[in-house]
Amino acid sequence: EFRFGPCRVEGVVLSELWEAFWAVKNTLQTQDNITSVQLLKPQVLQDVSDAESCYLVHSLLKFYLNTVFKNYHNKIAKVKILKSFSSLANNFIVIVSKLQPSKEKDMLSISERAHRRFLLFRRTFKQMGTEAALVKAVGEVDILLTWMQKFYQL
Amino acid sequence: LTGGVAVLPAPQNLTVLSINMKHLLMWNPVAQPREPVLYSVEYQGEYESLYMSHIWIPSSRCSPTNSLECDVTDDITATVPYNFRVRALLGSQTSAWSTLERPFNRNSTVLMAPRMEVTEHGLHLVVKLEDPGPQFEFLVVYWRREPGATEHVKVVKSRDTPVHIETMEPGAMYCVKAQAWVKAIGRHSTFSQTQCVEMQGEPL
Amino acid sequence: AQTTVDKASLLQYVKFQSRNFENILIWGGGPDSTPDTVYSVEYKRYGDKVWLAKAGCQRTTQKSCNLTMETGNLTELYYAKVTAVGPGRKQDLKETERFSSLQHTTIKPPDVTCIPKVRSIQMLIYPTLTPIRSENGHQLTLEEIFRDLFYRLELRVNHSYQTHLEGKQREYEFLGLTPDTEFLGAITILAPMWSKESTPYVCRVKTLPDRTW
Repeated sequence: EFRFGPCRVEGVVLSELWEAFWAVKNTLQTQDNITSVQLLKPQVLQDVSDAESCYLVHSLLKFYLNTVFKNYHNKIAKVKILKSFSSLANNFIVIVSKLQPSKEKDMLSISERAHRRFLLFRRTFKQMGTEAALVKAVGEVDILLTWMQKFYQL
Repeated sequence: LTGGVAVLPAPQNLTVLSINMKHLLMWNPVAQPREPVLYSVEYQGEYESLYMSHIWIPSSRCSPTNSLECDVTDDITATVPYNFRVRALLGSQTSAWSTLERPFNRNSTVLMAPRMEVTEHGLHLVVKLEDPGPQFEFLVVYWRREPGATEHVKVVKSRDTPVHIETMEPGAMYCVKAQAWVKAIGRHSTFSQTQCVEMQGEPL
Repeated sequence: AQTTVDKASLLQYVKFQSRNFENILIWGGGPDSTPDTVYSVEYKRYGDKVWLAKAGCQRTTQKSCNLTMETGNLTELYYAKVTAVGPGRKQDLKETERFSSLQHTTIKPPDVTCIPKVRSIQMLIYPTLTPIRSENGHQLTLEEIFRDLFYRLELRVNHSYQTHLEGKQREYEFLGLTPDTEFLGAITILAPMWSKESTPYVCRVKTLPDRTW
């Protein structure tokens, strides 16, 4: 199960997510020829405290569901990519549906710190053209999974 | 008939039979006298139905198939409700889509107690468990048959190869039972029948 | 004066080959390459603008280059590229796919000592050091990198049956064996979260004769 600080998520098998991404990794990443820009850069994901992690993963996964996957979908020509996206998106829905980031007042500074990290990611995304940003974001799902894996308990 | 043209009826009675995380979509045949009818299966996860309901994904194994059932195990890769639809194909004719009445979620699968074979080899208590698939782990519980016995538990991931559970004392009787555990749905099966063996005491 | 360069097929592929985080860049010569074609390697982190030349792999006729130290940060992703220059100003350039050593590295068989006794076989597994260093310079083992790493030991007793142990510790003993009998052991490293499994270390060993009679 995932343990993002106080938030626990069961019913997601990480290897299923990796399998879905690895099946299309090279196809996705070779579409991204702007190798000098990284959306999920170290300042976004490095040294995230447990307490922050629930807020940050909630924001990132909702962005991927509402913006990235949704708008990238009409670019998908191959059924194989459609299947991988379906597997990733449906497992992201399971995670988001089980995350309950606390709204307590004493957590305000922590949630704001997490939100600043998310805003840094989204600012970089918006600074790029939409098409290029979508391609880059889907190609960086492995960076997202690698970070999420730190909070996965066997 | 529609405007004098024979319309191919849609398949009826779609159901899902799911045992040990193997999911089988089934439907009634479309009766056609002359030629064999083919069927095409598509699916939608919760994401597709929420965010892009027009998107349906062809099933990995049955697009098309001449069978009346489709193994959709590989299509279901998340513990969310999945919609399925099937249509008939006959030459150039295609029927309307027929959709599963209620979405299927893999957490409703029936988990059977694992089939288990307990043997003793010299001083080894050895258990061999069937392999229902990669999603399964097993909880093996064993104890020495004596008053006030203590139960011991071992989690076993390997399948289809005999697993050495413990090294025992000669002449003692040991009992074993096991249950299957599926992490993806957070559920376990009932326990298998208990099996007991007596340690002969001779080394292998 | 402007010198013109002919685009030629001097390179077939450029890719990383990674085993236990030893990251080697390898490439294949193309149909136009000749023995005196020379190759130069550059690399960079994904997200960086500047490419860095790898010292020691400039204008070389070799077809591999050790980039272990340059690609040693586990949380970073990398690119490398090779420029090939052949006779007659022929030139070619190819780039790798985005490389992550955590995702791509394969695990070598473990280092094991199998010790036969009269009625048992002991197996001692040694930790595998990697070139990866922690922030305080400590060299990391595979166990420290992969939290879920465990060992699986199988002992083939006779043709139809094998026994099996698994765990995270490094010392194991198969007990209750027949003296003066040959057994085949196979020891594998697994890191399931990354879907990694080494090929087995195999030892063929014979239990000692029982001289107590």
